[in-house]
Amino acid sequence: MKIVVCFKTLADYPMLTERDWRVDEQHQVDLAWVRQVYNCYDESALELALQLAHDGPDAAACETTALSIDDSRADLFLRHLYAVQYDRAVRIDCGEEVDLRFNPLAVSLLLASYIREIGGQQLVLIGSEGGMGDNRQTGFLVAERLGWPCIREVIDVVPEESRECLCVTSRREGAVLTQTVGLPLVLVIGNVLRSPYLRVPTLKEKLAGKKKQVLVLSPTDLAIAPDNLSGNDRTLVGLFRQRQDRQCVMLAGENAREKAKTLYHQYLAERLKG
Amino acid sequence: MALSREAIVEQLQKIAGPEQVITDEQVLKENSHDRYRKLQSVFGIYALPLPAAVVKLTDVEQVSAVLKFLNENKINCVPRTGGSATEGGLETIVENSVVLDGSGMNRIIKIDADNMLATAQCGVNLEVLENQLRAQGFTTGHSPQSKPLAQMGGLVATRSIGQFSTLYGAIEDMVVGLEAVFPNGQITRIKNVPRRACGPDIRHVIIGNEGALCYITEVTVKMFTYQPENNLFFGYALDNMKTGFAILREIMVTGFRPSIARLYDAEDGAQHGFDQFAEGKCLLIFMTEGPKGISRATGEGIEEIVARYDECRKVNTQIIENWFNHLNWDPSKVQAERDFMRKNLNLGFTTEVSGNWSCINTIYENTIKRIREEFPHAEDLTMLGGHSSHSYQTGTNMYFVYDYNVVNCAMEEELEKYHVPLNAMIVEETLKAGGSMVHHHGIGKYRTPWTKEEHGSAYYILKALKDVFDPNGIMNTGTIYPLK
Ligand SMILES: Cc1cc2nc3c(=O)[nH]c(=O)nc-3n(C[C@H](O)[C@H](O)[C@H](O)COP(=O)(O)OP(=O)(O)OC[C@H]3O[C@@H](n4cnc5c(N)ncnc54)[C@H](O)[C@@H]3O)c2cc1C
Repeated sequence: MKIVVCFKTLADYPMLTERDWRVDEQHQVDLAWVRQVYNCYDESALELALQLAHDGPDAAACETTALSIDDSRADLFLRHLYAVQYDRAVRIDCGEEVDLRFNPLAVSLLLASYIREIGGQQLVLIGSEGGMGDNRQTGFLVAERLGWPCIREVIDVVPEESRECLCVTSRREGAVLTQTVGLPLVLVIGNVLRSPYLRVPTLKEKLAGKKKQVLVLSPTDLAIAPDNLSGNDRTLVGLFRQRQDRQCVMLAGENAREKAKTLYHQYLAERLKG
Repeated sequence: MALSREAIVEQLQKIAGPEQVITDEQVLKENSHDRYRKLQSVFGIYALPLPAAVVKLTDVEQVSAVLKFLNENKINCVPRTGGSATEGGLETIVENSVVLDGSGMNRIIKIDADNMLATAQCGVNLEVLENQLRAQGFTTGHSPQSKPLAQMGGLVATRSIGQFSTLYGAIEDMVVGLEAVFPNGQITRIKNVPRRACGPDIRHVIIGNEGALCYITEVTVKMFTYQPENNLFFGYALDNMKTGFAILREIMVTGFRPSIARLYDAEDGAQHGFDQFAEGKCLLIFMTEGPKGISRATGEGIEEIVARYDECRKVNTQIIENWFNHLNWDPSKVQAERDFMRKNLNLGFTTEVSGNWSCINTIYENTIKRIREEFPHAEDLTMLGGHSSHSYQTGTNMYFVYDYNVVNCAMEEELEKYHVPLNAMIVEETLKAGGSMVHHHGIGKYRTPWTKEEHGSAYYILKALKDVFDPNGIMNTGTIYPLK
C-alpha cells in the first residue's frame, strides 16, 4: 500500500500578539520571523499514517510519502519526517508568483496531480482544516479531482483483518461510524482517537534524516501551467484577525471555600449532571 | 515508641484543627512526589510511602506548634509550597511523613514603596506578587520559568534563579529579611536592613535549606522600578559554544549587565524553533533593560563586542522577543506535557550545573561527549544539548537538557534506566572539571551522593547546621544530606 499525507506548516499563531498583526496593502501579514509548526490536524494525519504503515502487520509492503506545497522553509519539517521514518519527502514549490492562500482549487490541483502523475499512491490522508481562515475544502477537492471516495472526520484507521481493506472510524453528526472500505481512498482527518502528536525521532534518526534529500517539484513537473493556478473562485478583499473574546466573571466570596461553592452551584453542578 | 499513623493524624487534628489535616488518599498520593517522578504520576504509579497527612498551614504559631509536635515525636516532615520542585525535594521517602503545605499562607503583607520592600507569606505565588507590583510600577526582578507555579517559600528554600538574573541577581540577592520556624518550634525573624556587619549573614542558613533545616513562613524581597518600555532584544547565530562562552565572558567582564544573557547550542535551540532561522547554529540571546540610557548603552556595548567575532550573524530581534514572551510554564503547559508523555512515552529532564569561565566549555564538551559515547541507551535519546542562562563576573551555568523515548522498560524502571545515569554523568563531569553540581534546582534527594564531594572540607559547616538545627533529623530526610 502506498500512502501519501498532505500537510502544511503554519505560523504558530498563539505566539502572536495583537501588535504583530500588521496587514499590508497586498493583504499580507509578515510572519517570516514567526516559528512554524505542523498544522495540528496534519500532524495527527502524519502520525496515523505511520501507525498504519509501520506498526501494522504489513510494514514491509507499505510506502509512506509526506507531501507539502511550500517554500524551502518546509524542508526542515520534511527532513524531520524522514527522521520519523517517512520513505519519501516531497515539496511542491510554486515560487512567489502564485498566491495559494484561500485557494483550495489550486492546492487540490497540485496535490491531485502529484498523486496521479508521480506518486501513484492509493491512500491519501489530509487534515480536515488548516488554521485560521481556512476553507475545509482541500481534502474533498482532492478526492473529487482523483475521482475517489472520501471519508471526513476520520478519527482512526487500521488494516482490516483480511488486509485487503481498511477499517475506518469517523464521526458523523454526533455518532461514531466504523466502515470497511477498499482503496483508493481519501481520508480527511479530524480529532484522532490515538496520539494526536507525531512520534519523536531519536538523535540517530534525526542525523540520518538530515542527510536525506527532499524531492522538490515545480508545477511544470506536474504538467500544470502557471495559468491554471492563478484562477481562484474568490477574491481576497480584506484580512482581519479573528477575535476570540472571552468573558470573565470574578467570583465573589469571603474565602476560597465560599468561592468554590459558588463555582460549583452556579456553573458546574448543572453541567456535571449532564 | 513511634506514634501510629492514626495517632499522628489525631494529634495533628488537635493542634491544627480537623479541617486543616487532609488524609484523602488521592491528595496524599499527589503529595508524595514531585516532578522528578513526572512520568510515573501520569500513569497513576505512586511508588513511595504515602504521607500520614497533609497539614494545611495557616499562621506562624500553628507552624511552630506542628513542628514542635513532630520534633518531639521524631516524625519526618516535608515542607511544601508551590509543588514545582524537580529534584525529589518533595518526596515522602519515610513512612508516615507529614507534608506541611504552606500554600494557604498566601497573603501579601506589605508593599513598602518608600524602602522598596515587598513582604509576602510563604504561599504567595510569585506571579501574583509580581503582577501586583507591576500594576504599581515595580518588579521583583525574579522571573524563573516556573513563575506561574512557584511560591515564595519554595523559591527561597531552593535558592531559585530567574531569567533576568544577570541584572537583578538570584533569590539570595533579593531576599532582605525572613521569618522561619525551626523544628523545636522556635520562631525566628531576620530584620529588613540594607546591609550589616553583625556576624555571618544568617539569612544563608535559611535560603537554600530545601526544607531540611527549617520552615520559611514569610519573606521580604527587594523591589525594583519596572520599565519594560526600555527593553531591547538582541540575537546572534554562531557556530561554536566555545565562542559563545568567550563572548558571554567578555560582556560580563567588561562590566555590562544585560538582564538576559543566554547561549543555546544547536540541539537545544532547535527545541525552541531557532533552527528555522539559523539551522545547525548556536544562538546568543540578550535582553537589556533599566533606565533608557542604560538599556541602550548596554545594548550598544553588546553589539560592539559581538561585532568583533566574525562567526556571529545577527538574527531578527522579533524572533527573540517572541520566544521570550512564551517561555514561562503555567499549569496548562504542565498538563500539555503530561498528555504528551502519556501518548508518546517521551519525556525530558534537565540537570543544571555551573563552572568558572576557564572550565565551563570543558564541562559542556566532556559531558556531551561522554553521554554520546558511554550512555548505554543512547539510541533512545531524542534530544541532548543545553544552554547557559545565568552569567556572572567569574563564570556561568550550563543547563543540560535531555529527552528520551521510554523503550522496553516498566514505568517503575524508567528513572533508573535513563534519568539517573544521565544525571550522574553530568554531575561527575562537572565536579571533575572543578564546577558545581547544582546551579539552581537544589540538591533534592537525587544528587545527595555527591553532596560531600561538592563541599569538600566545608561539608563540616554544612553538617553542623543539620546537627544543631535539626538534631532529630525530622526535616525532609534525605534532602541535601545523604541518607545514613
Ligand atoms: C516548568 C518548570 C520551570 C522551572 N524553572 C525554574 C527556573 O527558571 N529557575 C529556578 O530556580 N527553578 C525553576 N524550577 C524549579 C522550581 O520551580 C523551583 O525550585 C521553585 O523555587 C520551587 O518553588 P515551589 O514553591 O514550587 O516549591 P516546592 O516545589 O513546594 O518545594 C521546593 C523545595 O523547597 C522546600 N520548601 C518549599 N516550601 C518551603 C518552606 N516554606 N520552607 C522550607 N522549605 C520549603 C521543599 O521541601 C522542597 O525541597 C522550575 C520548575 C518547573 C516545573
